[in-house]
Amino acid sequence: MTDVLLPLLVAVPVLAAVAPLLLSLRTTETGWYVAAVTCAVEATLAAAVVRAVSLDGAVRHVVGGYERPYGIELVADGLSAPVVALVAVVALGVLAFAYTAGPRRNSFYSAYLLLVGGLMGVTVTGDLFNMFVFLEITGLATYALVAADRSGRSAVAALKYLILGTTGASLFLIGVGYAFVETGTLNMVDLADRLAGGYGDRTVLASFGFILVGLGLKTAVFPLHTWQPDAYTYAPDTVTTFISALVSTVAAYAVGRVILTVFTPAFFEAVPAARTAVLVFAAVSILAGSALAAVQSEIKRLLAYSSVSQFGLVVAGFALVTPDAVLGAVIHLVGHGLMKGGLFAAAGVMAARHGARTVGDYARLGYRSPVVAGAVGVLGVVLVGVPPSVGFLGKWYIAVGAVRAGAWPIAVVVFLSTLLTLSYVARLLERLYFAGSTEPTVAAGADADADAGTGAEAGVDVDPDPDPVADGGDRPDSRAPAAVSTGMVAVVVAAAVVAVALGFATAAFETFLGGVLP
Amino acid sequence: MSDAAGRDAERGPYTESEVIMSTVRVVTPFVLTFGLFVTFHGADSPGGGFQGGALVGTVVLMLAFAFGIDPTRRWLGRRAVTVVACLGVVAFAAVGLGAVALGGGFLEYTAYEALPLHDPVKLGIEAVEVGGIGLIVGGVIAGLFFLTAAGPAADDADAGGDAE
Repeated sequence: MTDVLLPLLVAVPVLAAVAPLLLSLRTTETGWYVAAVTCAVEATLAAAVVRAVSLDGAVRHVVGGYERPYGIELVADGLSAPVVALVAVVALGVLAFAYTAGPRRNSFYSAYLLLVGGLMGVTVTGDLFNMFVFLEITGLATYALVAADRSGRSAVAALKYLILGTTGASLFLIGVGYAFVETGTLNMVDLADRLAGGYGDRTVLASFGFILVGLGLKTAVFPLHTWQPDAYTYAPDTVTTFISALVSTVAAYAVGRVILTVFTPAFFEAVPAARTAVLVFAAVSILAGSALAAVQSEIKRLLAYSSVSQFGLVVAGFALVTPDAVLGAVIHLVGHGLMKGGLFAAAGVMAARHGARTVGDYARLGYRSPVVAGAVGVLGVVLVGVPPSVGFLGKWYIAVGAVRAGAWPIAVVVFLSTLLTLSYVARLLERLYFAGSTEPTVAAGADADADAGTGAEAGVDVDPDPDPVADGGDRPDSRAPAAVSTGMVAVVVAAAVVAVALGFATAAFETFLGGVLP
Repeated sequence: MSDAAGRDAERGPYTESEVIMSTVRVVTPFVLTFGLFVTFHGADSPGGGFQGGALVGTVVLMLAFAFGIDPTRRWLGRRAVTVVACLGVVAFAAVGLGAVALGGGFLEYTAYEALPLHDPVKLGIEAVEVGGIGLIVGGVIAGLFFLTAAGPAADDADAGGDAE
């Protein structure tokens, strides 16, 4: 019966997404409980899938009993299992954050569960067209979530994301169409068989190009990232935490899946220019993302640009197609999801507790919120890549893979991006712990009383960069202290602990990926 | 604000027009019939739940344009649209998981051969097409239309399937 797990993994959240809508006819604010139960079930299913994969190497399910190449196949293997686990864990964890941070509307949790279903679908599908369908479900649910606080700016960010995301999905679909024209099949394994030998064909090259650019847009790789900083910055904190950890991650997983399973390393051997193009694309993204992050003053925007850089790393790892680099890419994919989820959750806590939304606002918060600030410090250091941590493992294996593949420039780029990452993380830590105490800080005004107005004023006066302050205007909650629950803090701390603990999990990743490494 | 704009705001977006109402009265039965016709084909002939559902959904839109959006919504019932779209999802999942319960794979229609049904594969596809996709698409089109018309301040329960 193990093979029924895969359709359940997708069907359960999609079916459950109906419940909050139906409940909203009679009650309000019941969606969270539906989501909690569903995500708990989902986590159990994911655990069972991961266990089955670790025992058998791969789990398959043929939907409707129509065998390939005609039917749709769901497959979980060593590449998808870590992502399945990440999606399940983060979906459950973010709910702990959402309980207090909101939104509480039922329709929000419908979109939330739909997104979980879409993400799981992309991760476990073995069919290229089916992947497009699930990417669209993921995209549509994300557009709705980004605009969930119904403010003007989040709506604009969502619209921008919608236009670019739809373009990306269309490009992906065109690529899939070319592959279908060339081979007459959509099943990934079958495609790999039939593409073999015809790699130089123009249709195949066009297919690869369209698919990669389409997924690059979804992953937010520079210069296709422009939707992402706005979407992350203006979405509600709960949503940012959720989508930053999962949505681009799953798109990057799709990049890896397409490169490794559909086009296979043999394609890159036959067409070295394609590999070089992807590597250049990734290298530019790594550097540009880090450099743009280093000059940001708003925390969420800084973290968003940092993601552009980290996904460049992941794409580079997949494009190198050596065992080390792919291992590094998968570790970094999972690690980045945890780190960014944790950091955005921390940004949400800091904003709710102190109204702090810029690097300047973080002055001396290390002493006022020691636990969360400590977790931010740990996650920041993990992001830089200090051992022992998952951030170090990912970068290390990608760099080693680059060196062994003779792609020295990538190793240099990884090193440079680490320095740039260090520059913005160090700036954050300096603010948190070593900001001059003589400086009048936000802390002085808004200390734990209801005097939110004074706090906001103090913030305005001190802030070196007047622009982000204007943010407070049309988002009523952005500067006023709001409730922070233990659950919200626990999510941040748990992310930090797991990010460090996974630094010792190389062996586990290697056993999982043993069967799929090139 | 000019006088014309002020009058528009007072009058609202709806204009009662004998031409539009008469046309919609004549056209609607045909569109609905054609929508159902397309919906019920699809298992073994051209057609399908998506296209048919879209046609049926547009019937609601035409009525709303002719007779006013709010009266149409009240006539349909505030909750009907949500319930229809949700039922579609439930029907789809039920057919899919029902096959699993009978020992087959997800959506494996041949599993329904265990039941005393005539041509269970065709019935299964029809159930998904008509009961699942048709309802979802029709419900979501009508729901999105009402939700858009109601504006950003709308209550969640006013329209269904905003994310589907």
